[in-house]
Amino acid sequence: MIRRRTPPRLLVKTLTVAFVTVAALLGVVFIVVILSMRNQVRDAVVSNLESTQRLFAAVETRRQQDVRSRAETLADNPTLKAALDTYQSEVQDDATASRADLLETIDLVLENVAARVDSDAIVLVDLHHIALGAAGPMANRWPRSRPVSLVANRTAAGPSGADSFDGVARMGDNLFRVVTVPLLLGDTLIGGLYVATSLDQDYAQELDQLARTRIAIVSDGLVVATTLSPRAALQFESAVAVTQPVDGVIPLDGESHAFRRLVAVGNTVFYALGSVDESSRQAMRDAMRNLALIGMFGISLAGVGSFWLAQTLSDPIKRLSTSLATMAASHDVSSRLPLTGSSLELDTLTETFNALMASVGEAEAETQAAYTGAIRALATALDARDPYTAGHSDRVSVLAVAICRQLNLPAGEIEVVRLGALLHDIGKIGVPDDVLRKPGALSAAEFDIIKQHPTVGARMLRSVPFLSPHIPIVELHHERPDGGGYPNGLRGDDIPLGARIVHVADAYDAMTSARAYRNARPPAEALQELWRCAGTGFHAEIVAALANALPGVTSEPPQGGASRG
Amino acid sequence: MLVLAVSAPNGQTDLAAGRVTGRVKLTTKIPGKPLPSTAYPRRTIGDHHPSALPEIRNVVVYIKDALHKGPLPTSRNELLQEHETFIPRTLAITRGSVVSFPNGDPFFHNVFSLSRAGNFNLGRYQRGQTREREFTKAGIVKVYCDIHSHMSATILVFDHPYFTIPDLEGAFELPALPTGEYTIVGWHERVGERSMRIRVEAERPTSVELVVPVPVGDEYE
Repeated sequence: MIRRRTPPRLLVKTLTVAFVTVAALLGVVFIVVILSMRNQVRDAVVSNLESTQRLFAAVETRRQQDVRSRAETLADNPTLKAALDTYQSEVQDDATASRADLLETIDLVLENVAARVDSDAIVLVDLHHIALGAAGPMANRWPRSRPVSLVANRTAAGPSGADSFDGVARMGDNLFRVVTVPLLLGDTLIGGLYVATSLDQDYAQELDQLARTRIAIVSDGLVVATTLSPRAALQFESAVAVTQPVDGVIPLDGESHAFRRLVAVGNTVFYALGSVDESSRQAMRDAMRNLALIGMFGISLAGVGSFWLAQTLSDPIKRLSTSLATMAASHDVSSRLPLTGSSLELDTLTETFNALMASVGEAEAETQAAYTGAIRALATALDARDPYTAGHSDRVSVLAVAICRQLNLPAGEIEVVRLGALLHDIGKIGVPDDVLRKPGALSAAEFDIIKQHPTVGARMLRSVPFLSPHIPIVELHHERPDGGGYPNGLRGDDIPLGARIVHVADAYDAMTSARAYRNARPPAEALQELWRCAGTGFHAEIVAALANALPGVTSEPPQGGASRG
Repeated sequence: MLVLAVSAPNGQTDLAAGRVTGRVKLTTKIPGKPLPSTAYPRRTIGDHHPSALPEIRNVVVYIKDALHKGPLPTSRNELLQEHETFIPRTLAITRGSVVSFPNGDPFFHNVFSLSRAGNFNLGRYQRGQTREREFTKAGIVKVYCDIHSHMSATILVFDHPYFTIPDLEGAFELPALPTGEYTIVGWHERVGERSMRIRVEAERPTSVELVVPVPVGDEYE
């Protein structure tokens, strides 16, 4: 069984549409933001690494220059030179000479020198790069008489000359970054001084803080120091160490990392790394928060907007339907709906409806006129059955309307009375002609037949719905205030006003018309008779109204020619 | 590289003593050793004039294994500090001799040494002043100035008088030696000793040619 569902309210519809639209819009924005943000964040991380690299390269160049100039200052130390030169002079030709005290001199001087700088080690080498002594916190990594193998690819192209260079040396477990400067006595090269910085975790940490990125130092295919996690460091080592690319993006420990070569010294490369995912998480959080705010704002706005829209649409419609309901309830086709002014469509609809109602009203009026015409024709025909009563119904109708005007009745009621008066004797259609036209007095049986005509008329009218207002007039126009009337014997105020009026008008016209058995009585006399029976046979106020109305009535040309009464 | 040539002496006989004469030649060939660089800037305070003395005057010729008995003649010597240079660069003296170090520059100088044969520091002093020291131990004494790190000089202190510095042409003659077999040495601060064996005879002087591989300025002989 299909149940007919109640359609949703307009407000629900507009709200739903607005919310769905906003939600879909937000969804699309969300997806676009997610997709584009990752790329943008990656670009940002890469460009950040690039600027870090530039900055770092500049800072590093400066730092190395500082180290170099410090080293050059140290290399100019006369005592250091004297110690080296003296040592070399004395062992030059006598390999067996005891060197201990000479070397101790060198060590003492080196200790003095090292105390003035914060390098990890200061190393004095001879012309063959064999260490003669070392000082500083990590001096023990530089054993005496051991040749230092220095990997350097960058020759300082400065005023310091060809033998100043920047390199990397592996001593034991430690990798050192080494700045070397020559020791000169006059114009003669007598040895070299190494200022060594250990490339260890502390160094990486320092770079990390300086560059604000993760740092990995790779030498000979191995990560020697890093601020990455051990796992990520291993992955980075296997991915990068062999080829040592300039830059790129690789996954480390489940996160995408962009990396870039900061500086290369010998076979050792310093890398800066930035996690794309870590950065994008932050950016994504910010974006999500903003999107959520915008979304809430958008949904609220859409809600308010659609609510307003629904109200503007549904309010006038509600007003229209209320008016329609009222009109339908009262069978009122003459009223017109007011224009809402809310929208062109609604006003057009209202106007069309009004036009429709107007035509319906006209059609109904035509129908009524047709009915009325037919009934009037019937009444006229009825009147015409008896020459004495010809035109009676029309005259009663005119009189009754005149009385109504005297009583200041509203137009609607006058209309009811006018037609009612026209039809008041319609029931006589059932009265046989011999009874109706009988010139003499009626027998009781004949009068009983006559007395049935209001009931018959009422019964006839009941079959025509729009004539129902007139039924009481037709049915009760022979009731008397004293209860002596027929068919119901109603009393006083129980008799409807219309019936009272028609009763008086009927009586007056009957008296002023000729009958087969009497002549017409003059209006004054008839009025006299009415006044005499006021309160018993007729209602006094109606008689008064008739009296007031009479001059207008009597001025009309007499109907039906000479009176027969 | 050492080239040794012993030529036949002529004339002159001497009892128990013989003369040794010869010539020192400087060359540039130093196999297996880096050449000193001249590319470095000079970090000097004032005008820096290298020693006017030719390189040959920085060579000392001596008998390495000579023994000397009796009192050793001593001398007074001067090592001038001028134009941020020690003049001469190389000085040869007998043990017990005195060297004074006058300051000829319009600024302070210092003299110190870390050598085993003489570890001393004469302090800093201004122009016109001088300090002196007696060298009582044989050996090589390198002296420096702790104000001007490029300044250095060498004083060779001997236990015997059998040493000399060649003349500008490189010719030299040692004091008369007891006859016998000796090792004769040509020494330069950058290359150390270049030695050869000689035999000193009373009947005739021994002539020696020593080749020392030291570059001379931009031109090499």
